[in-house]
Amino acid sequence: MTRFVLRTLAFLPLAFAVWYFAAPILLWPAVLIVRAAVYVGFADLVRAVEQSGAIATFVTTLGAGVAAGKGLVTVDVNLRAYSFGMPLFAALTLAARTAEWKRLLAVGYATLTPIVAFGVLADFLKDVAITAGPAIASQTGFVPWQRETIAFAFQFGSLILPAVAPAVLWVAMHLPFLTTLRDRNSVSV
Amino acid sequence: MRRFLVVFVVLLALAFAFELTPFAQAHFVTPWTDAVASASAGLMRTFDATITTHGNVIASSTSPFAVSIEAGCNGVEATLVLVAAILAFPAPWPHRLRGIVVGVVAVQVLNVVRVISLFYLGRYDRDVFEWAHLYVWQALIMLDVLIVWVVWVRFVPGNREASPPPLAAA
Repeated sequence: MTRFVLRTLAFLPLAFAVWYFAAPILLWPAVLIVRAAVYVGFADLVRAVEQSGAIATFVTTLGAGVAAGKGLVTVDVNLRAYSFGMPLFAALTLAARTAEWKRLLAVGYATLTPIVAFGVLADFLKDVAITAGPAIASQTGFVPWQRETIAFAFQFGSLILPAVAPAVLWVAMHLPFLTTLRDRNSVSV
Repeated sequence: MRRFLVVFVVLLALAFAFELTPFAQAHFVTPWTDAVASASAGLMRTFDATITTHGNVIASSTSPFAVSIEAGCNGVEATLVLVAAILAFPAPWPHRLRGIVVGVVAVQVLNVVRVISLFYLGRYDRDVFEWAHLYVWQALIMLDVLIVWVVWVRFVPGNREASPPPLAAA
C-alpha cells in the first residue's frame, strides 16, 4: 500500500505536466460535447462555442446591456478547472501497474470527458442565469426552479464531480488490483 | 460492487443537496469553515505572529494578501465523499463509525495543511497559488480520501473472507 501511494505521488507531477500542456488537445473532445449539448438544448442562448487553448468561450445571443442594446455577452470557462481529475486518474492507473494500463487510461479518459463537459456547461449556465445579474439573467428565460437546478448542477459539477469521478472510476476499474493490494498487506502486517 | 456504487452516489447526492440548504449552511458549513480558518491560523501563529482571522478569512498584519476559505476549500465536500463511501460499503456499524472519525480527522488535517500552504503560496506567487488552489490540492485531497477509504476497507472485520465478493464481484 505504501509503495502504491509513493508511486502515485511520483506519477502525479508527470501526469499534471502532460495534462497541463496537452489540455488544448485533451479537452477538445469535451468542447465538442459541449457544442453538441448547446446545439440540442440551448441553441436560443448560444451562437457558438469556441476553444482557445484551455478556455472555452461561449458566444451568446444575450445583449450586453439594455441601454446599449449592442454587443453580445461572451462567457469564458476554464476547461482545466473541470478536468484536474484526469491527471489524478492517470497517476493512480500508472501506479497500479496493471498489464492493461493503456486500455484503462483510454477508457478512463473517454469516461471522464463527458463529465468535464457537464461541468463546463453548468459553469456557463450558472454565469448567465445567476451571477451575470438580473439584466442578463432575465433574457435567458429561466424560471426559478430552473435556476435552482442550474445552481445545483454547477455546485455538483464543480465541487464534487471533477474530484470524485476519477476516484470512483479508478476504484471500479481496479477491483482485482485492490483485492491484491489488500491480500498483500494482510500477509505483511 | 454495483450496490456499493449506487448507494454511494445516492448518499453523496443527498448529503450534497442537504449541504446546500440554507439550514445546513448556517448551522454546519459556516461554523465548520470558520473553525477550519481558526485552526489553520492557530497553527500558523506558532511560527508567524502576524496572522489574524475574521470568520473564514485568514490575513496577515504585514501583508495585503488574505485568503477566504470558501466551498470546496473547507474540506466539507471531501468529508461528505468519505462518509458516503464508508456508509455505502458493507461493514459493521462500530467499524464504520471508527472509520468516519479517523477518516474525517485525516482529511481535515491535510485540509489545514492545504489552507496554510495556499496562504503562503499566495503571498509570494499568485500564479503558483492559482495552480495549487485550482488543480493540485483538489487532486491531493481526493487522493487522501481514496487512500483513507482503501485502508479502511482493508480493515473491515471479516473482510478477508468477505472482500473477494464485495470487491471482486463487480
